[in-house]
Amino acid sequence: MKPTARWIPYFLVAPAFAIFSIAVLGPIIATFGLSLTDWNGFNTPSFVGFENFIRAFHDKIYMNSYWHAGVYIAATLILEVVVGLFLAGLVSSKKSTTFYRVAFFTPVMLPLVVISVLWTFLLNPDLGILNRILGQLGLESWQHIWLGDQSTALLSISIISGWIFAGFYMAIFYAGFQRIPSTIIESARLDGASEWQLLRGIKIPMVKNLTEVAILLCFTGGIQVFDLVYVLTNGGPYDTTQVPTTYLVRVVFRDQQMGYGSALAVILTLVVVGVGLIYNKVRTKDDVVVEY
Amino acid sequence: MRRNPVFHIAMSMYSLIYFVPLLWMALSALKSNEEIAKDPLSLPTSWDFGVFPEAFNAGGLGKYAINSAIVTGTCTTAVLLFGSMAAFAFSRLQFKFSKQLMALITLGLILPLQSYFIAQNALFDSLGIKDTRMALILPYTAMGLPLAIWLFRAYIQNLPKEIFEAARVDGASDLKVYQTILIPMLKPGIATVAVFTVLSAWNEFLLALVYIQNDDLKTIPTGLLTFSTRYSTNYHLLFAALTIVTVPMIIVYIIFNRKVIEGLTEGAVK
Repeated sequence: MKPTARWIPYFLVAPAFAIFSIAVLGPIIATFGLSLTDWNGFNTPSFVGFENFIRAFHDKIYMNSYWHAGVYIAATLILEVVVGLFLAGLVSSKKSTTFYRVAFFTPVMLPLVVISVLWTFLLNPDLGILNRILGQLGLESWQHIWLGDQSTALLSISIISGWIFAGFYMAIFYAGFQRIPSTIIESARLDGASEWQLLRGIKIPMVKNLTEVAILLCFTGGIQVFDLVYVLTNGGPYDTTQVPTTYLVRVVFRDQQMGYGSALAVILTLVVVGVGLIYNKVRTKDDVVVEY
Repeated sequence: MRRNPVFHIAMSMYSLIYFVPLLWMALSALKSNEEIAKDPLSLPTSWDFGVFPEAFNAGGLGKYAINSAIVTGTCTTAVLLFGSMAAFAFSRLQFKFSKQLMALITLGLILPLQSYFIAQNALFDSLGIKDTRMALILPYTAMGLPLAIWLFRAYIQNLPKEIFEAARVDGASDLKVYQTILIPMLKPGIATVAVFTVLSAWNEFLLALVYIQNDDLKTIPTGLLTFSTRYSTNYHLLFAALTIVTVPMIIVYIIFNRKVIEGLTEGAVK
């Protein structure tokens, strides 16, 4: 429609666009600019070309942080997406499962910081219940300083992440399953299909596009993971749980290297946007599957 | 679809994975530090709920909650108002640069916070708004707007066109249409966007950590972290604080569970 007065659409868009420009668009452009400079936040930024980027690719901690994020993403694909899919299959196979769905989703809406502080205590070698339960079961050899041991820290973070977000993916898949026409499900049941066959043969194929969205979310969320790692280990022990975001915060706010930090931020941005673009190219454009 | 006791027993057992940590947190608050250190698995010996007001007053939790409420309330109002206004223009009105502006806003859906927060920090520094509530309200609003506009636009596009055209014939201006027709019809969308915006602002941590040093202005996530370092060995007080923060949220969540689950998943999937 043509607006009733020419100024109206601009008036409607102006506040949103002004806030977005000041707080996001402008700073993005500035961050890209700063990535080509040497700047400690106080002096005048001096142009250094791509030096920061060259340094980043030689920065072992930074390169390793992507490896850690990769391990975390791989683990959470199983602990969050696959477990979530399986839980959705379970809660959609019977009636009156609201209680379970509400229970499994609870950690998703709580602040990550609060959950992380709670888990540092659950996993605490002296006060925590995990080691204590293992001890009572006679499994002393399984006890660990979970978050302080290089071999278990990253795995522990991934498991905690699974505890939090499996319910989130369950809710996504459950909503998808609910949209499958009930005639399809009912006729398969009449033909004697088991719940497991239903899940594998009908439900999962029909929410294929949701699975793709879930994988994308797991990736983009995983590469940006911050709160959990910051509170649980802050990158330690010996940088073995350092992820791109925690390292970035350290470089910028502890080491005051704004120029170098901006380059690290630009690389991270390109990775996230690149994956988003690839996803858009390869995702299923198929009308058979249920739209969310 | 018959009732299956094995299914419900198995599912209830699995639910314990979620209940035990939260229950342990609440029960540990009622124990003394010695009891916690001696046997983390034991039940409290006395039911002294005095620890909750003690924790509430000692750590300034009330102060943090008020800050969170002010920041969350302001930015949610701004996101709902400005987001619905912009979405109305983008979906129902023709104007120059509409496509380009929408494309820029869409960019905000995929860009990570890290792509702008360094320069944003420098900008807020030079504007002198770090350590003010504005330093959180402004970015939280800006981060919430792209998704709000995107979701509102989808809702508006699903509304029948005729309604808007009929109002036009009756001589209503676009602003009148926005106020009297669009807003009432947009209610389900408003609920979804509100849930999403409220929870992301209430729980946000990274920017709050970087922008707010003044303890009087901290929000719940950073405030609780301060609390946990200050009382790192006063376990029962810390557990009480964790309980105070989580229990009201869980109660609200149980009451509105459908809306909360819907809001968070829809917001992420779109």
